[in-house]
Amino acid sequence: MLMFALRRLGFVAVVLLVVSIFAFLVPYVTGRDPAREILQSRVAERAPDEEVLEAIREELGLNESLFVQYQRWLGSAVEGDLGYSMVSKEPVGELLVNALQITFLLTTVTLTFSLLVSLPMGALAAARRGGWLDNAIVAVTQTGVAIPEYWLGPLLILLFALTLGLVPSAGLRGPEYLVLPALTLALRPIAYITRISRAAMLDVLSSPYITAARARGLSYAKTVVRHGIRNASLPVLSVFAMWFAGLLGGSVVVEVIFAVPGMGRLMYEGVLNSDIPLIQAGLMTIVALAVVFNVLADLLYTVIDPTVKLRR
Amino acid sequence: MTALETAQAAPPGEKARGGQTNIFSIPAVWSRTPWTGKIGLITITVIMLLAFAAPWIAPYDPNEIDLINRLTGPSGAHWLGVDNFGRDVLSRLLYGGRLALFIAAISVVISIVVGTLIGAASGQIGGFFDEAAMRFVDLSLGFPTFIIALVIVAILGPGFFSLILALSFLGWTPYARLVRGQTLSINSQQFIEAAEALGCSRWFIITRHIVPHTINPVLAMGFLRFGHMLIRIGALSYLGLGVQPPDADWGAMLREAQPYMQREPWLIIFPGLAIFISALAVTLAGQGLTHAFDARAAHATISASLVAEEQAR
Repeated sequence: MLMFALRRLGFVAVVLLVVSIFAFLVPYVTGRDPAREILQSRVAERAPDEEVLEAIREELGLNESLFVQYQRWLGSAVEGDLGYSMVSKEPVGELLVNALQITFLLTTVTLTFSLLVSLPMGALAAARRGGWLDNAIVAVTQTGVAIPEYWLGPLLILLFALTLGLVPSAGLRGPEYLVLPALTLALRPIAYITRISRAAMLDVLSSPYITAARARGLSYAKTVVRHGIRNASLPVLSVFAMWFAGLLGGSVVVEVIFAVPGMGRLMYEGVLNSDIPLIQAGLMTIVALAVVFNVLADLLYTVIDPTVKLRR
Repeated sequence: MTALETAQAAPPGEKARGGQTNIFSIPAVWSRTPWTGKIGLITITVIMLLAFAAPWIAPYDPNEIDLINRLTGPSGAHWLGVDNFGRDVLSRLLYGGRLALFIAAISVVISIVVGTLIGAASGQIGGFFDEAAMRFVDLSLGFPTFIIALVIVAILGPGFFSLILALSFLGWTPYARLVRGQTLSINSQQFIEAAEALGCSRWFIITRHIVPHTINPVLAMGFLRFGHMLIRIGALSYLGLGVQPPDADWGAMLREAQPYMQREPWLIIFPGLAIFISALAVTLAGQGLTHAFDARAAHATISASLVAEEQAR
């Protein structure tokens, strides 16, 4: 167990290091000169003074080798100093924390709703395998994944906000503002979790121990509850963890459509404004979150299912 | 996958045959594809042909601006109405799929090639390379790949090549995982042992034995992923980072139509419908092909195809 955890941590550290290099190199790939951009943002002058440029480079340490600059950037990032946004001049750390809280809220609401809908649907489909209900559920999930969110979102706004006036269409000033974004965002998780839970349930229901339990005279419902659900929960948990990690990075499209000030929108605005410190820190944060969740989910499996081999 | 598994009961004779279908024998594949898959294949072929033939069949120039007749509904002259610049919606729809379909197809091919090679190498070489590659693939499934693609497009600037790079960048990972699994099961078979005994190189074994044996599920997965690529390209265009104006694109059309949707709902209904139908068609085709290629492996590829779809956030 300890060796397993250590190996995992070692690999995670390597991945994070590689990602940090990737994130750090973002501004250099563009081929733009940061000093020139900073100066141009301060003074609206077409041809900046070379001497002033040189001074800015000296001040920001841009003349040092990339490696030294990377070390300095990573060092301050580890200490929690992620720099300042080039647009709003606010500390990037604060911006990220605020946005993450909102995205976390949206993700939690979305996935809770998805689970509540999809687990019963999946179990129902598995129990009625091959019947019309099963076929209908499967068809709905297949159709669901082909619907683009940037189509469903505006359609929901058009129907529920603009035409019926039931819920607000954009912003985030109360719980009712979360309804439409969560509905839009839940479409895909609902489809996947339903299919996964259906497949997992089918798998479990065809196992010998279910037959054995039934042979011992346990009722069908009890068999499913006692033996089925726990064993079927593993793949569902795996998908759930993946979705949680992925959604924490923020859904750009949904957050932009509904003007939710979460991670996705923050990153989108950062990208549009070439806000380099924000992009660097944002990329680092969302990938680190995804990695941490992945490792946590792996460790959780071993708790739920003792037969899972620790080293794959 | 599962609709086919249940809705499609293969004729007993065919089921007994089981095993692999020769993918180069089109009638054999077609006859074993369930009806949903056939509909999907036909639909996507028609959409591709329409997009390809757009210059010849479109009734108007897609960029022709007619401000006097802007935002008028469907009529005899303009079957699907006119947008906020007075451009013909039907013509823009026909043109709107050209770039997206092309970019999606190329990205899928690149992802397949890279993923197959890495997966086969991983399964063949094993050891540290295998562990590192597969750990990375596992981790990357949780990555917010859309934001990474967004950043790549933003850095390199919107354009043909940056879109392809952004979509292929992590797009290869599900194929790598699938092919590795297949490679491991093939590796234990005697003809691989024989090839090794005869002194064949690893490269030879991978390209001549492993790749041909894994091509069916990989191809089916390619279809499944194609739909997601299409949706993602539309998302990038919707966000203004994909296909650039004035070129027509389904995603960009949705964004342009949004301010007018209450007044003229058809403006957002049709482009979205185009993406939806295309994505649904390739998904059905992919699932049908999964079934047709290998009835026995249909169950095994359920998890593989789900992995393919999960990543498509």
